[in-house]
Amino acid sequence: MKLNRLMRAALAVVAAAGLAIGVIAPAHSAAKTTVSIVQSNALTGLNASVSEFNLTFNVDVASLSGMGFTYYDNKPALVDNTAYGSYKIVSKKPFKVSYTVRSGQVWSDGTPMNAVDLLLSHVTANDAYSEIAGLGDPSDARVTPAFNSGGYGGIYAESVVGQPILSANKMTVTIEYSNQVPDWKLLAPGPSPVHALMLMAEGEDTLQSVAKSNAARERFLKAFTTYNTATLKKIGKIWSTAYNIDKVDGSTNPLLLVGNGPFIVKSAVPNGAVTMVRNPKYTSGPKVKSIKTVVFKVIGDGTAAAQALKNGEVDVYAGQPTGDAVAQLKAMAPAVKIIGGDQAIYEHVDIRTGTAFGTTDTYNGVFAGNSQKALDLRTAVLLAWPREEIIEKIVKPINPSAQLMNSLMYFNSEPGYKDIITKSGVSKFTEGTQASRNAKALALVKKYYPEASASNPVVKIKLLFGAPSNTRRVSEAALAKASVAQAGFDMDVTPTSGWSSFTKNAKYDLAFFAWVKSAILQRGNVGTYQEQNYQGYSNPEIEKIYTELNGKLLTQAEIADRFLKVETILMKEAVSLPIFQHPAVNGVSSKLMGVAPSPLSPNLVWNLWDWYFKA
Amino acid sequence: MIFKRKQKVVENLAEANENAIFNKETEGLSQGQIVFRRFVRHKAAMISVFVLFSLIMIVFTSSGVKIGPFTIPGWWQYKFDQLLDLRTEGCPPGVVGCPTLDMVPSFIDGTGMGLGMHPFGQDDIGHDYLSMVMRGAQRSIYVMVVIGFLGGSIGIVVGSISGYFRGWVDALLMRLTDFVITIPTIIIGSVVGYHFGNLGVGFLAFYLGIFAWTGLSRLVRGEFLKLREMEFVDAARVAGASNRRIIFKHILPNAVGIIIVSITLLMSGAILLETALSYLGFGVVAPDVSLGSLISQFQDSFTIRPWLFWWPGLFIITIALSINFIGDGLRDAFDPRQRRRLGKKEKAASRDQAKIAAASN
Amino acid sequence: MFAYIVRRLGIIVVTLFGSSFLLYNLAALSGDPLEALRTSREPNVQQQIIALTRQLQLDVPPPIRYFYWLKGILSGLVGHIDFGMTRTGHPVVDQIALAIPTTLRLVSGATVLAIVFGISIGIITALRQYSRFDYAMTFVSFLLFSLPIFWVAVLLKEYLAIQFNDFLGEPTITPQWIFFASVFSGIFWAAIISGSRARVFAIFGIAGTSTAALLSILSATKWFANPGFGPIVLFGLAIGIAFGVTYLSTGLGNSAALKSALTMAVLTLILYYPNQWLFGVSNKKLVYVLMIVTLFVVSGLVPMLFSKIDRGPIIRTSILAAFLMGLLTVIDKLMQTWKPYMETDAVYFRPVPTIGQVNPLLEPGNFWINFLDILVHLFLPTTALLLISFAGYVRFSRGTLLEVLNQDYIRTARAKGLTERTVIMRHAFRNTMIPLTTIMVVDIMSVIGGAIITERIFGWIGMGTLFNQAIGSFDLNLLMGVFLLTGFLGVSANLVADLLYSTLDPRVRSGAGKK
Repeated sequence: MKLNRLMRAALAVVAAAGLAIGVIAPAHSAAKTTVSIVQSNALTGLNASVSEFNLTFNVDVASLSGMGFTYYDNKPALVDNTAYGSYKIVSKKPFKVSYTVRSGQVWSDGTPMNAVDLLLSHVTANDAYSEIAGLGDPSDARVTPAFNSGGYGGIYAESVVGQPILSANKMTVTIEYSNQVPDWKLLAPGPSPVHALMLMAEGEDTLQSVAKSNAARERFLKAFTTYNTATLKKIGKIWSTAYNIDKVDGSTNPLLLVGNGPFIVKSAVPNGAVTMVRNPKYTSGPKVKSIKTVVFKVIGDGTAAAQALKNGEVDVYAGQPTGDAVAQLKAMAPAVKIIGGDQAIYEHVDIRTGTAFGTTDTYNGVFAGNSQKALDLRTAVLLAWPREEIIEKIVKPINPSAQLMNSLMYFNSEPGYKDIITKSGVSKFTEGTQASRNAKALALVKKYYPEASASNPVVKIKLLFGAPSNTRRVSEAALAKASVAQAGFDMDVTPTSGWSSFTKNAKYDLAFFAWVKSAILQRGNVGTYQEQNYQGYSNPEIEKIYTELNGKLLTQAEIADRFLKVETILMKEAVSLPIFQHPAVNGVSSKLMGVAPSPLSPNLVWNLWDWYFKA
Repeated sequence: MIFKRKQKVVENLAEANENAIFNKETEGLSQGQIVFRRFVRHKAAMISVFVLFSLIMIVFTSSGVKIGPFTIPGWWQYKFDQLLDLRTEGCPPGVVGCPTLDMVPSFIDGTGMGLGMHPFGQDDIGHDYLSMVMRGAQRSIYVMVVIGFLGGSIGIVVGSISGYFRGWVDALLMRLTDFVITIPTIIIGSVVGYHFGNLGVGFLAFYLGIFAWTGLSRLVRGEFLKLREMEFVDAARVAGASNRRIIFKHILPNAVGIIIVSITLLMSGAILLETALSYLGFGVVAPDVSLGSLISQFQDSFTIRPWLFWWPGLFIITIALSINFIGDGLRDAFDPRQRRRLGKKEKAASRDQAKIAAASN
Repeated sequence: MFAYIVRRLGIIVVTLFGSSFLLYNLAALSGDPLEALRTSREPNVQQQIIALTRQLQLDVPPPIRYFYWLKGILSGLVGHIDFGMTRTGHPVVDQIALAIPTTLRLVSGATVLAIVFGISIGIITALRQYSRFDYAMTFVSFLLFSLPIFWVAVLLKEYLAIQFNDFLGEPTITPQWIFFASVFSGIFWAAIISGSRARVFAIFGIAGTSTAALLSILSATKWFANPGFGPIVLFGLAIGIAFGVTYLSTGLGNSAALKSALTMAVLTLILYYPNQWLFGVSNKKLVYVLMIVTLFVVSGLVPMLFSKIDRGPIIRTSILAAFLMGLLTVIDKLMQTWKPYMETDAVYFRPVPTIGQVNPLLEPGNFWINFLDILVHLFLPTTALLLISFAGYVRFSRGTLLEVLNQDYIRTARAKGLTERTVIMRHAFRNTMIPLTTIMVVDIMSVIGGAIITERIFGWIGMGTLFNQAIGSFDLNLLMGVFLLTGFLGVSANLVADLLYSTLDPRVRSGAGKK
């Protein structure tokens, strides 16, 4: 019976299939204009300046929908965005800068831009204004200020003097700073669609005519200049809460989506995909070449993202994968190409030299203090640190062009790098082979522990590193353990979960850290202030140099000189050694051109305007 | 129609005859002996016992054992955390640490069979992968046994007490079960990890074990609820047996089949649970390894260095499969109503007998 | 009984209170929400720490903070329940409200299919105990049971998505594949039907050849690029369904049932073109409601023509057949949608996705295309979950059925001279379902908790993702929100299982304890 049924069904299928007409898929010739990008985290809000919303992906989306006076390219260098406006120092003493918005630009709702748009960033970054206007003291832990901004308490707030002055034609603001802030370009105020905020504060939920929008902006200006607490508080409420949405669809208030960037959010699914479409009125930055729609897809798992790339569901996968994942991406050629690079994060090993700042957990381990013994032991352990082997075995499989990093001040690609490494004294950690350095290190150790040898490591030390799921650190630690044993150190390399709470713990003699250069700042990147490092390291000379660096406008040569001084001290005192710059790997569909990731935020999408698909 | 009826009669008689054969076989044997005989006949289970036993022997003798001052060396030369030179010769371009295991005999490729230096290859920085897999298997089997033992014993005790006594004892214990069911195990792991650092695999096994009994206890309870209403329990009670005696001597032996199956399922589930936890970063952490942590650590290697992915996977599957088959065999063996499959000859014989009997009717 | 249920519900509330308090404090102890900030090197980090402490009320000790949270939940009694905000500043309630349907969509299909397949295969293996098929299925189900899901997912994505999409670019099947598929299908059918040696070979031959022929034709016509049944094949399949359903439910001897099922098949053919037109109508809801109503009314009425007595089983057969045939028609419509779906810009000829729950680029509006989109996104995760979860049902239903078949009442039924079909379907199967039901209840309710790993690998955002996210970022409000729901379902699943068990099996007196 079953047999017959099977037969019958088979015959019927055969007959019908015979009748069916074969259809061949027509070839598509038009080039794609939609690009899909993998994101590991979800969008949480459209206003990345709100405290706790300053997350990578929020920043990416915000930077695509808003342009300001500057942006970082992939060198990374700060680029003046003349399409939006220009700025210049109008007076050195007192230090005054004027910022001018180029006329003729409009927001995505058609409202013309002017310098009033810049004033809101003063409100959200200046603690003093917040207090004067009765919006709350941002440094008070008990109350949230009206503008719940993550920008308070920064360099801007420290150095700005008085209020910005608006020019008569309202296209320029002039801001005075208390000293010659070295990073003054970075302090340029960012534009916000204040008219939309004002309208929303007044209860509007649809786009308004240009005239009404202009009038709303005037009302904001009035509230700003008169410190109108009530109005500002209303705006603050909108600014702090209304943008914190992870869902955008047809029912979203369109005023929230007003921007001046090349792309505007069209839809967002909570924890899921975010779609942005071209802003037709965009003129505030470089011209967009071809991309019309951008989709960010949230994929948490690296393997899943790579497979999605292989399947053509996504065009770009930016990740920090394993060597195998890279090889897997390579194996997808020619459909996929790999664009490697570095992140603005560098791995380094720091040695504890004393009790950490702000803790009573006293450190008296082998590396403590400035005695010759401590110095020799610190030098020994850094000498024996197998930095080349780490690069070779752990970093190179991911980024074949990875290099050993020898300066704590500059990345290898920065102009000052070559000079500083020849003079800083780092050469004692790079001379010879690892074997010869290990021998030197052992000799240093033997001065104090004559019984020490490679087979009898007697100096017990403990390494702090975290995140047990981070296999790269585990491998690094395993390599380091084997190498420092050659110099007589017995290093405990058990990873610590919840390691951030142990950073000041005196049980640990040294630690792996990865620090982010979030911007190219003149103040340098080493935590050498006592409060800024966890190793209890302090040197008055370095602190003096930093105070100078932060207070004065110096030339590049002067800065390089100061950096060299700091680095020379650090190397002499053997407290920290850089290892490598974290590799970044981007798997890109081979048809997609123009992708040039930047190590700084918004890493991948900074030049989305240049992307295009080959036909 | 008549023919059909007759057919039926023959079948019934054949069944009776089969019964007779079974009864004859089990005559004069204790319950344990019967179970053992039945189990030994279950081919798949016997093969699995053999496989699992050899696997455990191989795995646990690979590394040396230290008993007091004496060290018994293992059969494998490397330790799992020993750093060795990364071998590249003979590997495809761009790949390091490929396996040296050669299973092709010399008359085919001329190189001959052999383990080589690193039969399973090496990881990224030069650890010998065979010793890592062995260590991982030791850890995983350890976790599995501890979970099986702890989860099994707590589950049986709680389930049997609550099913037997019912009333408030039952209510209390079952609410305790509910309570435990609702607490996610991952949380305990991360609390301990955060405050006390890495307590190692022993602790992991322990805390998973004391959370793993809820399903089993419900099952045992259900079985007890059913069995305590049976006549033989009434009979025992009338004969004056104590509660303890009824539970252990009368009910438990009848429930043992289902219990054993559940424990084997629990154990094979444990190995997967540990794998899943490792994938999420809550399982065995480096530098120690388990099969689960290896397979999740090297899941990207799937296309490039497949051996890093397949070896631990193969061990997981082998262990889980064997345990399940053993459980299956035990279940069949303990089921008093289950019969083994008769051989063709025996079947034919009983059928012939039945036919004769039917004809003579 | 009512009092018992109320009491149990009361206890559930107390249990949840206790475990939520414990969990809240444990979770608060499990890590440092300020971790990222503590190692941050931004200039205003102190400010940010202050802001976050304020937002998460970190200055309040956790045991007290728990009662703040509880206050929000208890205010549900007076109408406005407050689950609090997530760390990312969104109401927990919204997140969960969005996650539940996602999780349901992900797990319900897989669970239902696992139950259906698992129980069917379990029954077949039990009926053919110790046959080749039994051994093969035992091995396969244990094997699948032993696989880690992320492994299964990687393999499925590679073969069923990436390579299948590549295949669709040029949808011709190579002879090797046709050969392997034919051999496999031959072995499969031979094993499942079994019998004398000659019969096994015959079945192997027939199944193998017909598979080969079918695949060759599908390949030659590039059927996969533009699939569909067409009315004739649809009719053939419908007739197959008619016979199959009748055989299982009443036996082919019942000619009235067979006739009405066949009538349904004829109606399926006649209504083929009208249905196509109806599928295109813009007011979907009304039309579909009408179609479903018509389906049940017609299939309920047709049996009246053929029989005057004992109509119950006939109507049942007819409705089941009609339902399956309707399903077939819908499948046919979906197949016809396949080609336009592939041709949309959003899909661009790679229809099987490896991630996500819908294609975000697909314009809403076309019901069938969007429906198909949801289905293809379900395809891989459902398959993965199905593969690893159905083994349990196979083993359990096999074991239970074997036990039931050895019971005296089965012997009695056989002795009465009932047909084997009746003995299995009426007597054995129903009793097998009793313990299975309780297991299913617990399973279904616990899957709402989400499949953490499956969701992660397939990029779905359901309860599992929320749970994982909550634990990873020490987001207590979110964790507690997820917990309240899953904990409640987990605990009440046990209550429902208890109640069901004592209702279905009168021998068991579990229910009220002291009756």
